[in-house]
Amino acid sequence: MSVDHERGSPAWCWSAAGDPLGAGLRTLSVYAKAMEVAPATDDGMAVPLSLAPRGAVKVPLAPPRIKTRHFVFPQVADDQKVLPDAQSSAPPVPPTLSASHDQRFTRIRPPGEMIKLEDRLYYALQPPLETIVSGQLLHFPFHPFPYQLEGVAFLYARYSAVLADEMGLGKTMQAITAIRLLLHSGELRRVLLICPKPLVTNWQREFHHWAPEVPVSVIEGDQAKRRWQWQLGESPVRIANYELLHRDRELLAPDTHFDLVVLDESQRIKNRSSTTAQIVRSIPRSRSWALTGTPVENSPEDLVGIFEFLSPGFLSPNLKPRRMGRLVSDYILRRTKDRVLTELPPKMFRDADVTLTAEQRETYRLAEDEGVLRLSKMGEAATIQHVFELVLRLKQICNFDPASGASSKLERLAADLEEVAASGQKALVFSQWVGTLDELRRRLARFRPLAYHGGVPSHRRDEVIRRFKEEADRPLLLISYGAGGVGLNLQFARYVFLFDRWWNPAVEDQAINRVHRIGAAGPVTVTRFLALATIEERINQVLEEKREIFDTIFSDAEPHKHLGLTRHEIFGLFQLKTPAGPIDLAA
Amino acid sequence: MAKAEAGERTSITLGFLTVVEHEQHGFFGGYLLLNASARPLEFHCTAPIKPNRAQEILYGPTLRPYLYGEQIAHTLISKSTAKPVAVCTDEPAVLAVRELVSLPVALVGDPASAGDQQRGGPAAGRSVRIDAAHQSPRLVSFELGRNRLAVAAQYEGDRDELGRRLTSLADHLDLAEPFERIRGAIDEAQRAGK
Repeated sequence: MSVDHERGSPAWCWSAAGDPLGAGLRTLSVYAKAMEVAPATDDGMAVPLSLAPRGAVKVPLAPPRIKTRHFVFPQVADDQKVLPDAQSSAPPVPPTLSASHDQRFTRIRPPGEMIKLEDRLYYALQPPLETIVSGQLLHFPFHPFPYQLEGVAFLYARYSAVLADEMGLGKTMQAITAIRLLLHSGELRRVLLICPKPLVTNWQREFHHWAPEVPVSVIEGDQAKRRWQWQLGESPVRIANYELLHRDRELLAPDTHFDLVVLDESQRIKNRSSTTAQIVRSIPRSRSWALTGTPVENSPEDLVGIFEFLSPGFLSPNLKPRRMGRLVSDYILRRTKDRVLTELPPKMFRDADVTLTAEQRETYRLAEDEGVLRLSKMGEAATIQHVFELVLRLKQICNFDPASGASSKLERLAADLEEVAASGQKALVFSQWVGTLDELRRRLARFRPLAYHGGVPSHRRDEVIRRFKEEADRPLLLISYGAGGVGLNLQFARYVFLFDRWWNPAVEDQAINRVHRIGAAGPVTVTRFLALATIEERINQVLEEKREIFDTIFSDAEPHKHLGLTRHEIFGLFQLKTPAGPIDLAA
Repeated sequence: MAKAEAGERTSITLGFLTVVEHEQHGFFGGYLLLNASARPLEFHCTAPIKPNRAQEILYGPTLRPYLYGEQIAHTLISKSTAKPVAVCTDEPAVLAVRELVSLPVALVGDPASAGDQQRGGPAAGRSVRIDAAHQSPRLVSFELGRNRLAVAAQYEGDRDELGRRLTSLADHLDLAEPFERIRGAIDEAQRAGK
């Protein structure tokens, strides 16, 4: 088709060849008639003409050359998936997960480590979580919090990831949901979850709660049964405990490949040379996820241990904390309650500074003098172990005078518990010693306390928790940091007493967060006992410094100059002269 | 849902096509093919296309329908291997591709604001024609499930066709959602090309 058009003036005319609505204009011919320069028009048509010499000018109008790129994504056939496609068999019921009213979707984004454009696009083009869930007709017992969906999206696209949310924010639910979605999409077929032994039943329960259609098996029983479970079991999700790995090392055949291995409480492998760390690193796998509320308990080296599982060699212990923080930022997701759970009831701390009774003070003084004298006499032969023995002895005296049984802490605790019991509330009392808990149980018998510690057989522990929760006349649970620090949901209690202080603030946080977590019934009051002018006060200063270490790695805060405890500092608790060199206090 | 219907739904492929305008580089086209679960099957995108000054002047208000519909959209649809039951767009100018393909092409969203959202509101002095130049654009709007759609008036029959082909999807799928994915993917591809 050609179009001819002549403007009324004698100045110029033009013609176009082609189809303006079909294949487009191909050429434009311009004929200048009388004037060399055409007058400008409103639409700028004079621009090319103004440069035209007298005569005809041809302006090429070839269609643009369009370069394209093409990506075809792998599809998993239904018969390749380990879980049935819910939409082909389930009745249509409304999904429980939908975009919020402002249409904010939770999008899956490719991680920075993903290099190939095709891989990046595969994840960038996945539907938002809300669409995946509604498309597969999956249900949730509760609508997850937005930050939890962000956590699921974070894990979904990652082959190496640390979910390091503060305790109580639902790491378990986020991991289960990500596993669930990846199983449904066919991207996972075999998953191994490793957790501390006391938490196995908790994980089973949570899977049943958040992913009821996902078959889960626990690796247990005699060796023949376990061998079968490791090598031939068909359950898409298997749960093993760390302790079991030591026994089953030989059963983990090199060809036993897992699509995903998840380590719960992954601080268990912070010591890179430990047998546990070596075993989990040897498990053949495609994806590696670590879950922990305390990725750094004592020193940045803890994180190096976890990353040896995720990506061997990625971190070096020599890195400065700030540099390490930058390197791991794309692999670690950490949120704190203060930032994401603005509606969580407040957590209030009370420092119960007590003065030792006269009997305790005298016993304490004698023990300290004697201990310090003994260490001084040992000179260069004194080791950290010797110092620890003295510290533990003094801390026990701060709890109870071994001779008279006197305890200013107990007096204060008993008074507080009267109030707790009278108000119908429930309280946890933490100590690091079973002996202290036993003494408390005897002296606080009027509160009919329950106990949960290493001395309670594991098969009876669930029953203890059930009774504490259900029996109204059982307001008190005596609990050890070791047995009750992780995996328990005790948000129905409102009071936490730290009868003595742990070496590590992260462990104390874990203990507190058994109560202060999602579902907390109300404000949580944490009472931290501290015997004034004793070793406890000096240790408390050390704990505060450890908190600063953590902040340096997981925030933009300025790095603190004290990044770990040195032998000098430990020995300095008693003003002792010591050999040099760093130590691991919590070892 | 009957099993046969569910099976039919799972085999459906749906196309989403948009064009992103970049101030420096020009126009990027992106075409995403999804299955009924909104999972990606294929993605096709263009390198940036920048019309020269002569084309801008001479095509005037028909430049966008020409570039978006006849050039970019047509090229992308032609290159895909999966055959969708329909193509959705959030750019009115893409509707011009309907002249060249035998698929229903639907504009998603309110026609009054479609295409302006990602450009920060209606551009002053800019007009869009999706049919013959010098005629007002004519669209037929309708609701389908939870979505508001429009088709070019001269292809009003597409409305019934879309109703037949998308009924099982339109209730649970937000047809406007995939365009954000395409824009994100174009960003990724552009970064990778640098």
